[in-house]
Amino acid sequence: MNYFLIDKDQNYSYQKLLKDIRQSTYYYPVLITDNLYLYFKNLILSLVADQPLTLLDSDLQPSMTKNIDVRMINKTENLEKNLHSISSIENLVEKVLSSKSTVTIFTSGTTGQPKEVNHTIKTLTRYLKKNNSHSKDIWAFAYNPSHIAGLQVFFQAFANQNPIINVFNMGRNEIYSLIDKYQITHISATPTFYRLLLPKEISYPSIQRATFGGEKTEGSLFEKIQQIFPNAKMNNIYASTEAGSLFASKGDCFQIPEEIKDYIKFEENELLIHKCLLGNSKSFFLKNNYYYTGDLIEWIDKDAGLFKFKSRKNELINVGGYKVNPNEVENVILQIDGVQQTVVYGKLNSVLGNILCADIKMEKGKEITEIEIRKILSYSLQDFKIPRIIKFTDNIVLTRTGKIKRS
Amino acid sequence: MEKTVLEIINYIRKNKDLEPLENIDPKDNLRDDIGFTSFDLAELTVRIEDKFGIDIFEDGLITTIGEVYKKLKK
Repeated sequence: MNYFLIDKDQNYSYQKLLKDIRQSTYYYPVLITDNLYLYFKNLILSLVADQPLTLLDSDLQPSMTKNIDVRMINKTENLEKNLHSISSIENLVEKVLSSKSTVTIFTSGTTGQPKEVNHTIKTLTRYLKKNNSHSKDIWAFAYNPSHIAGLQVFFQAFANQNPIINVFNMGRNEIYSLIDKYQITHISATPTFYRLLLPKEISYPSIQRATFGGEKTEGSLFEKIQQIFPNAKMNNIYASTEAGSLFASKGDCFQIPEEIKDYIKFEENELLIHKCLLGNSKSFFLKNNYYYTGDLIEWIDKDAGLFKFKSRKNELINVGGYKVNPNEVENVILQIDGVQQTVVYGKLNSVLGNILCADIKMEKGKEITEIEIRKILSYSLQDFKIPRIIKFTDNIVLTRTGKIKRS
Repeated sequence: MEKTVLEIINYIRKNKDLEPLENIDPKDNLRDDIGFTSFDLAELTVRIEDKFGIDIFEDGLITTIGEVYKKLKK
């Protein structure tokens, strides 16, 4: 049998997927679900029917976004096309890859409110590789399915009719046993995911490719992961919610691919992307048709177009692959009764890369506990934006990187 | 030392609206038995380092309470 998805002991074949798609008469334009099969089936349905779709996290609080009409969530809508005519899985793949649908995804909300970005199948599948050499790939699915990186893994696997094995949010032993059981060949994940696989106990020779994305990867992590997956080629990928995949790494540097080189610019070492490479969004701030990413680079070989990413211009904190804008969190903390001053910062952490911390100065005579603050924040912030370590102090003296501020 | 580790674990559990544990066993798995996600593990390592001065995850991830004890006894 040709598996499409294996998720928590449930197996779904491509044949079943085809049958379910052909019989479908409705889909969910805005779906929130924990069921990955239903989620992917719904994605495929909207694409083959050329109807719009909005992708949300299964734990997203609807109040987080002003762009969503809450009444639309999990409401069905009739499909305008009869899907009976889809003759084969190959035919289904073709229809998906030539879809005229718009898929709306959200950035992690670094400027207060999550930004809505509308993608077409073209921007979502920019570097998709579909050919015979990929027909035997078996993918571990290690990303949130509503994020750009998760969508890219999905399309790469689906286009080649590869099995997708869900390992997202699973523990180390479970991940290893799935790699072994299904002889997984490809993994794409955040450095945080790979850090969770350490230390090495046994090696897994079935892995042919391990891709790192979403945050900066330290060189030592590559070496350690190479020991676990001795046959794997490893690379880094730069993708963003705004633009999809843009660059893959060459060694520990990135190189601009020939086909997009005319649409990439640098200004004071900041990466700029031409609007033709972006999805559509009302909230992009463009200057002369270029999007300012805030990612700062360092040239290794300018003539060859080789560079490394150095830092962020606007102090975003990368917590396990999720980007947190400290200003946003500070603004919410400051609304709590009795809080006088606060600073939110990342502290290096061996599990997540960075852990989010907050120092808080209370007004005289006011008191509150760390647990109470976190409870209050949980009503308005997504979990990854809530500081894990909150300290009360009379004097805020830290910079955001956790260094002592010198006045 | 065991008592302090239990207090730290229960503190993190309280933030997740989970009942406190009365006792923990060296065999307990941090994810499956204690119910910790990678964000909770990150918090655990900071709180343990504050008390004992040791980063328990420095050399890679550990999975059981017993392994935490072992790191702290070194």
